Amino acid sequence: MSEFALRAVEVIKEYEGGSVRALAGVSVDVRRGEHLCIMGPSGSGKSSLLYLLGALDRPTSGEVWINGRNLGQERNLNAVRAKEVGFVFQLHNLLPVLTATENVEIPMMALGIPRVERRRRAREFLERMGLAHRLDSIATKLSGGERQRVSIARALANGPSVILADEPTGDVDSKTGDQIMECIESARASAGATLVVVTHNPALAKGADRCLMMRDGRLHPA
Amino acid sequence: MLILKNLFRRKIRTTLSVLGVAIGIAAIIAFNAVAGGFKDGLNAYASQTGAHLMVLARDVPASEYSRVSAEELRAISTMPGVHQGAGTAFYVARASGLPALFLFGRDPNELPIRRYRNSDLQGRLLETDGEIMLGYVAAEKMKKKLGEDVELFDGRKFRLVGVYTVGIPWENVGAVVTVRVIQEKLRMGDAVQLGMVYLKDPRERDAVKARIERTYPNLIAVPSEEFAGNFENLQYIDWFVWVVSLIAVIVGGLGVLNTMLMTVSERTREIGTLRAVGWSCLRVMGLILSEGVLISVIGGATGLLVGWGGAEILIRWAPRGFLRTTYSPQMFLEAMAIALALGIVGALYPSYRASRLSPIEALKYE
Repeated sequence: MSEFALRAVEVIKEYEGGSVRALAGVSVDVRRGEHLCIMGPSGSGKSSLLYLLGALDRPTSGEVWINGRNLGQERNLNAVRAKEVGFVFQLHNLLPVLTATENVEIPMMALGIPRVERRRRAREFLERMGLAHRLDSIATKLSGGERQRVSIARALANGPSVILADEPTGDVDSKTGDQIMECIESARASAGATLVVVTHNPALAKGADRCLMMRDGRLHPA
Repeated sequence: MLILKNLFRRKIRTTLSVLGVAIGIAAIIAFNAVAGGFKDGLNAYASQTGAHLMVLARDVPASEYSRVSAEELRAISTMPGVHQGAGTAFYVARASGLPALFLFGRDPNELPIRRYRNSDLQGRLLETDGEIMLGYVAAEKMKKKLGEDVELFDGRKFRLVGVYTVGIPWENVGAVVTVRVIQEKLRMGDAVQLGMVYLKDPRERDAVKARIERTYPNLIAVPSEEFAGNFENLQYIDWFVWVVSLIAVIVGGLGVLNTMLMTVSERTREIGTLRAVGWSCLRVMGLILSEGVLISVIGGATGLLVGWGGAEILIRWAPRGFLRTTYSPQMFLEAMAIALALGIVGALYPSYRASRLSPIEALKYE
Protein backbone atom coordinates (compact mmCIF):
# COMPACT_ATOMS: atom_id res chain seq x y z
CA MET A 1 0.00 0.00 0.00
CA SER A 2 1.26 3.48 -0.87
CA GLU A 3 2.58 5.59 2.01
CA PHE A 4 0.82 8.57 0.46
CA ALA A 5 -2.88 9.14 0.79
CA LEU A 6 -2.79 11.81 -1.91
CA ARG A 7 -0.39 12.57 -4.74
CA ALA A 8 -0.49 15.23 -7.40
CA VAL A 9 2.15 14.97 -10.12
CA GLU A 10 2.78 17.95 -12.42
CA VAL A 11 -0.92 18.80 -12.42
CA ILE A 12 -2.08 21.48 -14.80
CA LYS A 13 -5.68 22.64 -14.81
CA GLU A 14 -7.00 25.01 -17.45
CA TYR A 15 -10.47 26.41 -17.95
CA GLU A 16 -12.29 28.06 -20.84
CA GLY A 17 -10.34 26.26 -23.52
CA GLY A 18 -6.96 27.06 -22.01
CA SER A 19 -7.44 30.81 -21.61
CA VAL A 20 -7.52 30.49 -17.81
CA ARG A 21 -4.76 28.44 -16.13
CA ALA A 22 -5.69 27.70 -12.50
CA LEU A 23 -2.88 25.26 -11.76
CA ALA A 24 0.47 25.54 -13.52
CA GLY A 25 2.21 22.22 -12.80
CA VAL A 26 1.50 21.38 -9.15
CA SER A 27 3.18 18.42 -7.47
CA VAL A 28 2.47 17.46 -3.89
CA ASP A 29 2.53 14.28 -1.79
CA VAL A 30 0.36 13.98 1.34
CA ARG A 31 1.24 11.17 3.74
CA ARG A 32 -1.44 8.99 5.34
CA GLY A 33 -2.81 10.67 8.47
CA GLU A 34 -1.08 13.97 7.68
CA HIS A 35 -2.77 17.31 8.28
CA LEU A 36 -1.78 19.61 5.44
CA CYS A 37 -2.76 23.23 5.23
CA ILE A 38 -2.64 25.01 1.89
CA MET A 39 -2.85 28.77 2.17
CA GLY A 40 -3.09 31.42 -0.46
CA PRO A 41 -5.10 34.39 -1.63
CA SER A 42 -8.43 34.09 -3.39
CA GLY A 43 -8.05 32.95 -7.00
CA SER A 44 -4.63 31.42 -6.43
CA GLY A 45 -5.85 27.92 -7.39
CA LYS A 46 -6.33 26.37 -3.89
CA SER A 47 -9.89 25.23 -4.49
CA SER A 48 -9.06 23.93 -7.97
CA LEU A 49 -6.35 21.73 -6.46
CA LEU A 50 -8.71 20.57 -3.70
CA TYR A 51 -11.39 19.58 -6.22
CA LEU A 52 -8.84 17.62 -8.25
CA LEU A 53 -7.54 15.87 -5.11
CA GLY A 54 -11.18 15.08 -4.22
CA ALA A 55 -11.95 13.45 -7.59
CA LEU A 56 -14.50 16.13 -8.38
CA ASP A 57 -12.69 17.04 -11.58
CA ARG A 58 -9.99 15.71 -13.89
CA PRO A 59 -6.75 17.61 -14.59
CA THR A 60 -5.90 19.01 -18.03
CA SER A 61 -2.61 17.18 -17.66
CA GLY A 62 -0.66 15.45 -14.91
CA GLU A 63 -1.76 12.77 -12.50
CA VAL A 64 -3.74 12.62 -9.28
CA TRP A 65 -3.56 9.58 -7.01
CA ILE A 66 -5.71 8.64 -4.03
CA ASN A 67 -4.46 5.78 -1.85
CA GLY A 68 -2.34 4.43 -4.67
CA ARG A 69 -5.13 4.66 -7.29
CA ASN A 70 -4.48 6.81 -10.33
CA LEU A 71 -7.70 8.78 -10.84
CA GLY A 72 -6.91 9.15 -14.54
CA GLN A 73 -7.55 5.45 -14.88
CA GLU A 74 -10.67 5.39 -12.72
CA ARG A 75 -13.87 5.27 -14.75
CA ASN A 76 -16.19 5.83 -11.82
CA LEU A 77 -15.10 8.89 -9.84
CA ASN A 78 -18.48 8.93 -8.04
CA ALA A 79 -17.56 5.73 -6.23
CA VAL A 80 -14.13 7.13 -5.35
CA ARG A 81 -15.71 10.26 -3.89
CA ALA A 82 -18.35 8.29 -2.00
CA LYS A 83 -15.88 5.84 -0.43
CA GLU A 84 -12.59 7.71 -0.08
CA VAL A 85 -13.34 11.43 0.25
CA GLY A 86 -15.24 13.62 2.69
CA PHE A 87 -15.76 17.27 1.75
CA VAL A 88 -16.29 20.17 4.15
CA PHE A 89 -17.33 23.32 2.29
CA GLN A 90 -17.10 26.94 3.35
CA LEU A 91 -20.86 27.39 3.04
CA HIS A 92 -21.51 23.89 4.47
CA ASN A 93 -23.88 23.21 1.53
CA LEU A 94 -26.51 21.40 3.57
CA LEU A 95 -29.77 20.51 1.85
CA PRO A 96 -32.12 23.05 3.45
CA VAL A 97 -35.26 20.89 3.44
CA LEU A 98 -33.63 18.03 5.32
CA THR A 99 -32.96 17.56 9.01
CA ALA A 100 -29.43 17.34 10.40
CA THR A 101 -29.70 13.53 10.51
CA GLU A 102 -31.02 13.30 6.96
CA ASN A 103 -28.22 15.51 5.65
CA VAL A 104 -25.65 13.19 7.17
CA GLU A 105 -27.42 10.22 5.57
CA ILE A 106 -27.05 11.65 2.03
CA PRO A 107 -23.53 10.30 1.28
CA MET A 108 -24.49 6.90 2.68
CA MET A 109 -27.31 6.71 0.12
CA ALA A 110 -24.65 6.79 -2.60
CA LEU A 111 -23.24 3.54 -1.20
CA GLY A 112 -26.66 1.92 -0.87
CA ILE A 113 -26.49 1.60 2.92
CA PRO A 114 -29.89 0.50 4.32
CA ARG A 115 -32.01 3.19 5.88
CA VAL A 116 -31.91 1.91 9.48
CA GLU A 117 -28.15 1.64 9.39
CA ARG A 118 -27.84 5.08 7.80
CA ARG A 119 -29.96 6.61 10.52
CA ARG A 120 -28.00 4.92 13.29
CA ARG A 121 -24.67 6.01 11.92
CA ALA A 122 -25.82 9.57 11.17
CA ARG A 123 -27.06 10.00 14.75
CA GLU A 124 -23.82 8.59 16.12
CA PHE A 125 -21.72 11.07 14.11
CA LEU A 126 -23.93 13.99 15.08
CA GLU A 127 -23.79 13.05 18.75
CA ARG A 128 -19.99 12.94 18.46
CA MET A 129 -20.16 16.49 17.06
CA GLY A 130 -22.16 17.60 20.12
CA LEU A 131 -25.40 17.86 18.19
CA ALA A 132 -27.47 15.25 20.04
CA HIS A 133 -30.10 17.91 20.75
CA ARG A 134 -30.32 18.93 17.05
CA LEU A 135 -30.77 15.57 15.35
CA ASP A 136 -34.21 16.34 13.96
CA SER A 137 -33.75 20.05 13.37
CA ILE A 138 -34.20 21.29 9.82
CA ALA A 139 -30.91 22.59 8.41
CA THR A 140 -32.19 26.15 8.05
CA LYS A 141 -32.99 26.29 11.77
CA LEU A 142 -29.39 25.59 12.78
CA SER A 143 -26.78 28.23 13.63
CA GLY A 144 -23.75 28.71 11.35
CA GLY A 145 -21.50 26.71 13.67
CA GLU A 146 -24.05 23.91 14.01
CA ARG A 147 -24.45 23.71 10.26
CA GLN A 148 -20.72 23.37 9.77
CA ARG A 149 -20.58 20.60 12.40
CA VAL A 150 -23.36 18.80 10.53
CA SER A 151 -21.35 19.12 7.35
CA ILE A 152 -18.30 17.65 9.16
CA ALA A 153 -20.46 14.73 10.29
CA ARG A 154 -21.62 14.37 6.68
CA ALA A 155 -17.99 14.34 5.48
CA LEU A 156 -17.22 11.52 7.94
CA ALA A 157 -20.37 9.53 7.18
CA ASN A 158 -18.81 6.93 4.87
CA GLY A 159 -15.55 6.64 6.86
CA PRO A 160 -13.37 8.36 4.24
CA SER A 161 -9.60 8.06 4.26
CA VAL A 162 -9.28 11.67 3.09
CA ILE A 163 -11.05 14.77 4.43
CA LEU A 164 -10.86 17.88 2.26
CA ALA A 165 -11.94 21.18 3.76
CA ASP A 166 -12.41 24.31 1.68
CA GLU A 167 -12.32 27.42 3.90
CA PRO A 168 -14.20 25.53 6.63
CA THR A 169 -14.32 28.51 9.00
CA GLY A 170 -14.91 31.16 6.40
CA ASP A 171 -18.57 31.62 7.24
CA VAL A 172 -18.37 31.83 11.05
CA ASP A 173 -16.81 34.05 13.72
CA SER A 174 -13.30 33.29 15.00
CA LYS A 175 -14.44 31.60 18.25
CA THR A 176 -16.80 29.28 16.36
CA GLY A 177 -14.06 28.82 13.75
CA ASP A 178 -11.70 27.53 16.43
CA GLN A 179 -14.34 25.09 17.66
CA ILE A 180 -14.95 23.86 14.11
CA MET A 181 -11.24 23.29 13.51
CA GLU A 182 -11.04 21.37 16.79
CA CYS A 183 -13.97 19.25 15.61
CA ILE A 184 -12.35 18.54 12.24
CA GLU A 185 -8.97 17.80 13.79
CA SER A 186 -10.38 15.46 16.43
CA ALA A 187 -12.52 13.69 13.81
CA ARG A 188 -9.44 13.26 11.64
CA ALA A 189 -7.44 11.92 14.53
CA SER A 190 -10.09 9.44 15.65
CA ALA A 191 -10.70 8.24 12.07
CA GLY A 192 -7.01 8.17 11.25
CA ALA A 193 -7.83 10.09 8.09
CA THR A 194 -5.69 12.45 6.04
CA LEU A 195 -6.77 16.08 6.20
CA VAL A 196 -6.16 18.83 3.65
CA VAL A 197 -7.44 22.28 4.51
CA VAL A 198 -7.30 25.14 2.03
CA THR A 199 -7.71 28.63 3.43
CA HIS A 200 -6.52 32.19 3.24
CA ASN A 201 -6.69 32.41 7.03
CA PRO A 202 -3.18 31.91 8.61
CA ALA A 203 -4.80 31.00 11.94
CA LEU A 204 -5.92 27.68 10.51
CA ALA A 205 -2.32 26.66 9.88
CA LYS A 206 -1.66 26.40 13.65
CA GLY A 207 -2.47 22.75 14.15
CA ALA A 208 -1.28 21.54 10.74
CA ASP A 209 1.63 19.11 10.33
CA ARG A 210 2.75 21.00 7.24
CA CYS A 211 1.81 24.20 5.52
CA LEU A 212 2.19 25.14 1.85
CA MET A 213 1.51 28.37 0.04
CA MET A 214 -0.33 28.51 -3.27
CA ARG A 215 0.54 31.42 -5.49
CA ASP A 216 -0.34 31.84 -9.19
CA GLY A 217 -1.19 28.19 -9.61
CA ARG A 218 2.01 26.86 -8.02
CA LEU A 219 2.79 25.49 -4.57
CA HIS A 220 5.63 26.92 -2.46
CA PRO A 221 6.83 26.15 1.04
CA ALA A 222 5.14 28.48 3.54
CA MET B 1 -37.79 11.37 1.87
CA LEU B 2 -35.85 13.82 -0.29
CA ILE B 3 -38.36 13.65 -3.14
CA LEU B 4 -41.34 14.54 -0.96
CA LYS B 5 -39.50 17.26 0.94
CA ASN B 6 -38.30 18.85 -2.29
CA LEU B 7 -41.84 18.98 -3.63
CA PHE B 8 -43.18 20.48 -0.42
CA ARG B 9 -40.59 23.24 -0.30
CA ARG B 10 -42.47 25.13 -3.03
CA LYS B 11 -46.01 24.27 -2.11
CA ILE B 12 -47.81 26.71 -4.40
CA ARG B 13 -45.74 25.82 -7.45
CA THR B 14 -46.11 22.11 -6.82
CA THR B 15 -49.85 22.52 -6.27
CA LEU B 16 -50.21 24.42 -9.55
CA SER B 17 -48.26 21.73 -11.41
CA VAL B 18 -50.40 19.02 -9.83
CA LEU B 19 -53.50 20.97 -10.84
CA GLY B 20 -52.23 21.31 -14.41
CA VAL B 21 -51.92 17.54 -14.70
CA ALA B 22 -55.18 17.03 -12.82
CA ILE B 23 -57.13 19.22 -15.24
CA GLY B 24 -55.78 17.28 -18.23
CA ILE B 25 -56.64 13.94 -16.68
CA ALA B 26 -60.02 15.23 -15.46
CA ALA B 27 -60.83 16.32 -19.02
CA ILE B 28 -60.00 12.85 -20.32
CA ILE B 29 -62.18 11.16 -17.70
CA ALA B 30 -65.12 13.57 -17.92
CA PHE B 31 -65.29 13.72 -21.73
CA ASN B 32 -64.85 9.98 -22.15
CA ALA B 33 -67.41 9.23 -19.45
CA VAL B 34 -70.04 11.43 -21.11
CA ALA B 35 -69.22 10.32 -24.67
CA GLY B 36 -69.13 6.68 -23.55
CA GLY B 37 -72.41 7.17 -21.74
CA PHE B 38 -73.99 8.55 -24.89
CA LYS B 39 -72.83 5.58 -26.97
CA ASP B 40 -73.83 3.07 -24.32
CA GLY B 41 -77.22 4.75 -24.14
CA LEU B 42 -77.63 4.32 -27.88
CA ASN B 43 -76.60 0.68 -27.72
CA ALA B 44 -78.86 0.06 -24.74
CA TYR B 45 -81.71 1.72 -26.61
CA ALA B 46 -81.17 -0.59 -29.57
CA SER B 47 -80.91 -3.64 -27.31
CA GLN B 48 -83.99 -2.77 -25.27
CA THR B 49 -86.18 -2.66 -28.36
CA GLY B 50 -85.82 -6.43 -28.27
CA ALA B 51 -84.74 -6.48 -31.93
CA HIS B 52 -81.82 -8.71 -32.82
CA LEU B 53 -80.56 -6.73 -35.79
CA MET B 54 -80.74 -3.09 -36.81
CA VAL B 55 -80.89 -2.49 -40.55
CA LEU B 56 -79.84 0.86 -41.99
CA ALA B 57 -78.38 2.35 -45.16
CA ARG B 58 -74.70 1.63 -45.66
CA ASP B 59 -72.17 4.47 -45.36
CA VAL B 60 -74.40 7.06 -43.70
CA PRO B 61 -72.83 9.31 -41.06
CA ALA B 62 -75.89 9.14 -38.81
CA SER B 63 -79.19 7.30 -38.59
CA GLU B 64 -81.26 10.36 -39.64
CA TYR B 65 -79.73 10.10 -43.11
CA SER B 66 -80.53 6.42 -43.45
CA ARG B 67 -83.39 5.19 -45.62
CA VAL B 68 -84.79 1.66 -45.76
CA SER B 69 -87.71 1.34 -48.17
CA ALA B 70 -90.97 -0.36 -47.23
CA GLU B 71 -90.37 -2.85 -50.02
CA GLU B 72 -86.95 -3.79 -48.62
CA LEU B 73 -88.40 -4.12 -45.14
CA ARG B 74 -91.25 -6.30 -46.36
CA ALA B 75 -88.79 -8.54 -48.19
CA ILE B 76 -86.59 -8.82 -45.09
CA SER B 77 -89.66 -9.81 -43.06
CA THR B 78 -90.23 -12.79 -45.36
CA MET B 79 -86.63 -14.02 -45.20
CA PRO B 80 -86.05 -17.41 -43.53
CA GLY B 81 -85.47 -17.10 -39.81
CA VAL B 82 -87.03 -13.62 -39.54
CA HIS B 83 -90.04 -13.20 -37.27
CA GLN B 84 -90.70 -9.56 -38.12
CA GLY B 85 -89.03 -6.58 -39.75
CA ALA B 86 -90.34 -3.42 -38.14
CA GLY B 87 -89.72 0.12 -39.34
CA THR B 88 -88.92 3.12 -37.24
CA ALA B 89 -88.16 6.80 -37.84
CA PHE B 90 -86.82 9.70 -35.77
CA TYR B 91 -87.34 13.41 -35.65
CA VAL B 92 -86.28 16.14 -33.24
CA ALA B 93 -89.10 18.57 -32.62
CA ARG B 94 -89.36 21.79 -30.68
CA ALA B 95 -91.40 21.67 -27.53
CA SER B 96 -92.18 24.09 -24.72
CA GLY B 97 -90.28 23.33 -21.51
CA LEU B 98 -87.60 21.27 -23.26
CA PRO B 99 -84.54 22.14 -25.34
CA ALA B 100 -85.66 19.48 -27.83
CA LEU B 101 -88.13 16.63 -28.00
CA PHE B 102 -86.95 13.32 -29.48
CA LEU B 103 -89.79 11.84 -31.54
CA PHE B 104 -89.74 8.11 -32.22
CA GLY B 105 -91.99 6.86 -35.02
CA ARG B 106 -93.47 3.41 -34.38
CA ASP B 107 -96.07 1.33 -36.18
CA PRO B 108 -98.86 0.53 -33.69
CA ASN B 109 -99.12 -2.99 -35.13
CA GLU B 110 -95.43 -3.92 -34.90
CA LEU B 111 -93.29 -5.33 -32.09
CA PRO B 112 -91.13 -2.29 -31.07
CA ILE B 113 -94.06 -0.44 -29.53
CA ARG B 114 -94.79 -3.31 -27.14
CA ARG B 115 -91.83 -2.51 -24.91
CA TYR B 116 -93.68 0.58 -23.65
CA ARG B 117 -96.53 -1.63 -22.47
CA ASN B 118 -94.08 -3.66 -20.44
CA SER B 119 -92.95 -0.60 -18.52
CA ASP B 120 -94.72 1.69 -16.08
CA LEU B 121 -97.15 2.86 -18.74
CA GLN B 122 -99.85 5.28 -17.68
CA GLY B 123 -102.74 5.30 -20.15
CA ARG B 124 -102.39 3.13 -23.23
CA LEU B 125 -100.31 2.56 -26.35
CA LEU B 126 -100.99 4.82 -29.30
CA GLU B 127 -103.26 3.48 -32.05
CA THR B 128 -103.76 6.26 -34.61
CA ASP B 129 -101.79 9.07 -36.29
CA GLY B 130 -103.48 11.71 -34.13
CA GLU B 131 -102.14 10.28 -30.87
CA ILE B 132 -98.90 10.62 -28.93
CA MET B 133 -97.15 8.96 -26.00
CA LEU B 134 -94.72 11.01 -23.90
CA GLY B 135 -91.80 9.89 -21.76
CA TYR B 136 -92.46 10.77 -18.11
CA VAL B 137 -89.75 13.46 -18.01
CA ALA B 138 -91.08 15.08 -21.20
CA ALA B 139 -94.62 15.00 -19.77
CA GLU B 140 -93.42 16.69 -16.55
CA LYS B 141 -91.42 19.35 -18.37
CA MET B 142 -94.19 20.08 -20.86
CA LYS B 143 -96.77 19.95 -18.03
CA LYS B 144 -99.03 17.62 -20.01
CA LYS B 145 -101.57 15.17 -18.61
CA LEU B 146 -103.32 12.24 -20.25
CA GLY B 147 -106.08 13.35 -22.57
CA GLU B 148 -104.58 16.78 -23.25
CA ASP B 149 -103.38 17.90 -26.66
CA VAL B 150 -99.69 18.25 -27.47
CA GLU B 151 -98.86 20.70 -30.24
CA LEU B 152 -95.72 19.73 -32.17
CA PHE B 153 -94.94 21.03 -35.64
CA ASP B 154 -96.97 22.91 -38.23
CA GLY B 155 -99.57 23.59 -35.55
CA ARG B 156 -100.47 19.92 -35.57
CA LYS B 157 -102.04 18.61 -32.38
CA PHE B 158 -101.77 15.11 -30.94
CA ARG B 159 -103.85 13.64 -28.15
CA LEU B 160 -101.71 12.39 -25.22
CA VAL B 161 -102.81 8.76 -24.67
CA GLY B 162 -99.86 7.33 -22.74
CA VAL B 163 -96.96 8.33 -20.47
CA TYR B 164 -94.13 5.80 -20.36
CA THR B 165 -91.05 5.16 -18.27
CA VAL B 166 -88.20 3.15 -19.76
CA GLY B 167 -84.63 2.38 -18.70
CA ILE B 168 -82.97 4.72 -21.20
CA PRO B 169 -82.88 8.22 -19.63
CA TRP B 170 -82.96 10.19 -22.87
CA GLU B 171 -85.88 8.16 -24.19
CA ASN B 172 -87.88 9.38 -21.22
CA VAL B 173 -87.32 12.92 -22.52
CA GLY B 174 -88.85 11.81 -25.84
CA ALA B 175 -92.19 10.94 -27.37
CA VAL B 176 -93.68 8.26 -29.59
CA VAL B 177 -95.93 8.97 -32.57
CA THR B 178 -96.82 6.74 -35.50
CA VAL B 179 -94.10 6.23 -38.05
CA ARG B 180 -96.39 7.76 -40.69
CA VAL B 181 -96.35 11.14 -38.90
CA ILE B 182 -92.56 11.36 -39.24
CA GLN B 183 -92.59 10.02 -42.79
CA GLU B 184 -94.95 12.85 -43.74
CA LYS B 185 -92.95 15.47 -41.86
CA LEU B 186 -89.67 14.40 -43.47
CA ARG B 187 -91.25 13.61 -46.83
CA MET B 188 -89.74 10.15 -46.76
CA GLY B 189 -92.54 8.44 -48.62
CA ASP B 190 -92.97 4.95 -47.20
CA ALA B 191 -89.32 4.57 -46.23
CA VAL B 192 -88.08 4.37 -42.67
CA GLN B 193 -84.70 5.31 -41.22
CA LEU B 194 -84.14 2.09 -39.39
CA GLY B 195 -85.35 -1.44 -39.72
CA MET B 196 -85.62 -3.53 -36.54
CA VAL B 197 -85.35 -7.22 -37.27
CA TYR B 198 -86.80 -9.75 -34.82
CA LEU B 199 -85.61 -13.31 -35.32
CA LYS B 200 -87.36 -16.59 -34.64
CA ASP B 201 -84.10 -17.96 -33.25
CA PRO B 202 -81.37 -15.51 -32.08
CA ARG B 203 -78.72 -18.10 -32.96
CA GLU B 204 -79.46 -17.44 -36.61
CA ARG B 205 -78.41 -13.82 -36.32
CA ASP B 206 -75.19 -14.09 -38.31
CA ALA B 207 -76.86 -16.03 -41.10
CA VAL B 208 -79.72 -13.54 -41.39
CA LYS B 209 -77.30 -10.61 -41.26
CA ALA B 210 -75.29 -12.11 -44.12
CA ARG B 211 -78.46 -12.78 -46.10
CA ILE B 212 -79.71 -9.20 -45.73
CA GLU B 213 -76.39 -7.66 -46.72
CA ARG B 214 -76.00 -10.04 -49.65
CA THR B 215 -79.50 -9.32 -50.96
CA TYR B 216 -79.29 -5.57 -50.35
CA PRO B 217 -75.71 -4.32 -50.74
CA ASN B 218 -76.96 -0.80 -49.98
CA LEU B 219 -77.94 -1.89 -46.45
CA ILE B 220 -76.08 -3.10 -43.41
CA ALA B 221 -77.45 -5.22 -40.60
CA VAL B 222 -75.76 -4.72 -37.23
CA PRO B 223 -76.31 -6.51 -33.93
CA SER B 224 -78.34 -4.23 -31.67
CA GLU B 225 -75.70 -4.01 -28.96
CA GLU B 226 -73.16 -2.71 -31.52
CA PHE B 227 -75.50 -0.14 -33.00
CA ALA B 228 -73.59 2.99 -31.92
CA GLY B 229 -70.35 1.82 -33.47
CA ASN B 230 -71.73 2.31 -36.97
CA PHE B 231 -72.01 6.07 -37.00
CA GLU B 232 -69.22 8.27 -38.25
CA ASN B 233 -70.44 11.27 -36.31
CA LEU B 234 -70.04 9.33 -33.07
CA GLN B 235 -66.45 8.65 -34.10
CA TYR B 236 -66.06 12.42 -34.54
CA ILE B 237 -67.20 12.78 -30.94
CA ASP B 238 -64.40 10.38 -29.99
CA TRP B 239 -61.94 12.49 -31.97
CA PHE B 240 -63.18 15.67 -30.37
CA VAL B 241 -62.85 14.11 -26.94
CA TRP B 242 -59.30 13.00 -27.59
CA VAL B 243 -58.20 16.27 -29.21
CA VAL B 244 -59.54 18.35 -26.31
CA SER B 245 -58.00 15.90 -23.84
CA LEU B 246 -54.70 15.96 -25.68
CA ILE B 247 -54.52 19.75 -25.51
CA ALA B 248 -55.29 19.65 -21.79
CA VAL B 249 -52.65 16.97 -21.30
CA ILE B 250 -50.00 18.93 -23.24
CA VAL B 251 -50.68 21.96 -21.05
CA GLY B 252 -50.26 19.74 -17.98
CA GLY B 253 -47.02 18.32 -19.37
CA LEU B 254 -45.63 21.80 -20.02
CA GLY B 255 -46.47 22.64 -16.41
CA VAL B 256 -44.41 19.68 -15.18
CA LEU B 257 -41.56 20.60 -17.54
CA ASN B 258 -41.55 24.21 -16.36
CA THR B 259 -41.66 23.24 -12.69
CA MET B 260 -38.86 20.75 -13.00
CA LEU B 261 -36.67 23.13 -15.01
CA MET B 262 -37.14 25.78 -12.34
CA THR B 263 -36.41 23.32 -9.59
CA VAL B 264 -33.16 22.21 -11.26
CA SER B 265 -32.12 25.83 -11.72
CA GLU B 266 -32.88 26.72 -8.10
CA ARG B 267 -31.16 23.65 -6.71
CA THR B 268 -28.02 23.75 -8.84
CA ARG B 269 -25.78 24.12 -5.78
CA GLU B 270 -27.53 21.27 -3.98
CA ILE B 271 -27.09 19.07 -7.02
CA GLY B 272 -23.39 19.94 -6.93
CA THR B 273 -23.28 18.89 -3.28
CA LEU B 274 -24.98 15.58 -4.05
CA ARG B 275 -22.45 14.93 -6.78
CA ALA B 276 -19.59 15.91 -4.44
CA VAL B 277 -20.65 13.37 -1.82
CA GLY B 278 -20.67 10.58 -4.39
CA TRP B 279 -24.10 10.61 -6.02
CA SER B 280 -23.88 9.40 -9.63
CA CYS B 281 -25.40 11.22 -12.63
CA LEU B 282 -28.00 8.47 -12.80
CA ARG B 283 -29.01 8.85 -9.17
CA VAL B 284 -29.39 12.64 -9.57
CA MET B 285 -31.42 12.03 -12.72
CA GLY B 286 -33.57 9.53 -10.85
CA LEU B 287 -34.23 12.07 -8.08
CA ILE B 288 -35.50 14.77 -10.45
CA LEU B 289 -37.41 12.25 -12.56
CA SER B 290 -39.08 10.84 -9.46
CA GLU B 291 -40.19 14.30 -8.40
CA GLY B 292 -41.79 14.87 -11.83
CA VAL B 293 -43.44 11.46 -11.77
CA LEU B 294 -44.77 12.05 -8.25
CA ILE B 295 -46.30 15.36 -9.35
CA SER B 296 -48.01 13.64 -12.25
CA VAL B 297 -49.18 10.66 -10.20
CA ILE B 298 -50.73 12.94 -7.56
CA GLY B 299 -52.14 15.09 -10.40
CA GLY B 300 -53.43 11.97 -12.15
CA ALA B 301 -55.16 10.65 -9.04
CA THR B 302 -56.66 14.09 -8.37
CA GLY B 303 -57.72 14.26 -12.03
CA LEU B 304 -59.55 10.94 -11.78
CA LEU B 305 -61.57 12.24 -8.84
CA VAL B 306 -62.18 15.68 -10.36
CA GLY B 307 -63.07 14.14 -13.74
CA TRP B 308 -65.50 11.74 -12.16
CA GLY B 309 -67.02 14.47 -9.99
CA GLY B 310 -67.10 16.93 -12.90
CA ALA B 311 -68.85 14.47 -15.20
CA GLU B 312 -71.45 13.68 -12.55
CA ILE B 313 -72.08 17.38 -11.93
CA LEU B 314 -72.29 17.97 -15.69
CA ILE B 315 -74.99 15.36 -16.20
CA ARG B 316 -76.98 16.72 -13.26
CA TRP B 317 -76.63 20.24 -14.56
CA ALA B 318 -77.73 19.19 -18.05
CA PRO B 319 -81.47 18.80 -18.65
CA ARG B 320 -82.60 15.62 -16.95
CA GLY B 321 -82.15 12.50 -19.02
CA PHE B 322 -80.14 14.05 -21.85
CA LEU B 323 -76.77 12.77 -20.69
CA ARG B 324 -75.45 9.78 -18.84
CA THR B 325 -71.96 8.62 -17.94
CA THR B 326 -70.12 5.36 -18.35
CA TYR B 327 -66.87 4.48 -16.59
CA SER B 328 -64.60 1.52 -17.05
CA PRO B 329 -61.47 0.37 -15.24
CA GLN B 330 -59.68 0.64 -18.59
CA MET B 331 -60.57 4.34 -18.82
CA PHE B 332 -59.05 5.02 -15.38
CA LEU B 333 -55.99 2.90 -16.12
CA GLU B 334 -55.40 4.68 -19.44
CA ALA B 335 -55.75 8.07 -17.77
CA MET B 336 -53.25 7.12 -15.07
CA ALA B 337 -50.87 5.77 -17.71
CA ILE B 338 -51.12 9.12 -19.53
CA ALA B 339 -50.44 10.97 -16.26
CA LEU B 340 -47.40 8.80 -15.65
CA ALA B 341 -46.13 9.36 -19.18
CA LEU B 342 -46.65 13.11 -18.67
CA GLY B 343 -44.48 13.07 -15.58
CA ILE B 344 -41.73 11.10 -17.27
CA VAL B 345 -41.73 13.19 -20.46
CA GLY B 346 -42.02 16.49 -18.54
CA ALA B 347 -39.19 15.65 -16.14
CA LEU B 348 -36.90 13.83 -18.56
CA TYR B 349 -35.13 16.87 -19.98
CA PRO B 350 -34.76 18.69 -16.61
CA SER B 351 -33.41 15.52 -15.02
CA TYR B 352 -30.98 15.05 -17.89
CA ARG B 353 -29.82 18.65 -17.44
CA ALA B 354 -29.36 18.10 -13.72
CA SER B 355 -27.33 14.96 -14.33
CA ARG B 356 -25.04 16.76 -16.78
CA LEU B 357 -24.20 19.61 -14.40
CA SER B 358 -20.51 19.82 -13.64
CA PRO B 359 -20.16 19.30 -9.86
CA ILE B 360 -17.65 22.13 -9.63
CA GLU B 361 -19.72 24.60 -11.63
CA ALA B 362 -22.75 23.57 -9.58
CA LEU B 363 -20.89 24.10 -6.28
CA LYS B 364 -19.80 27.56 -7.42
CA TYR B 365 -23.33 28.47 -8.55
CA GLU B 366 -24.67 31.56 -6.78
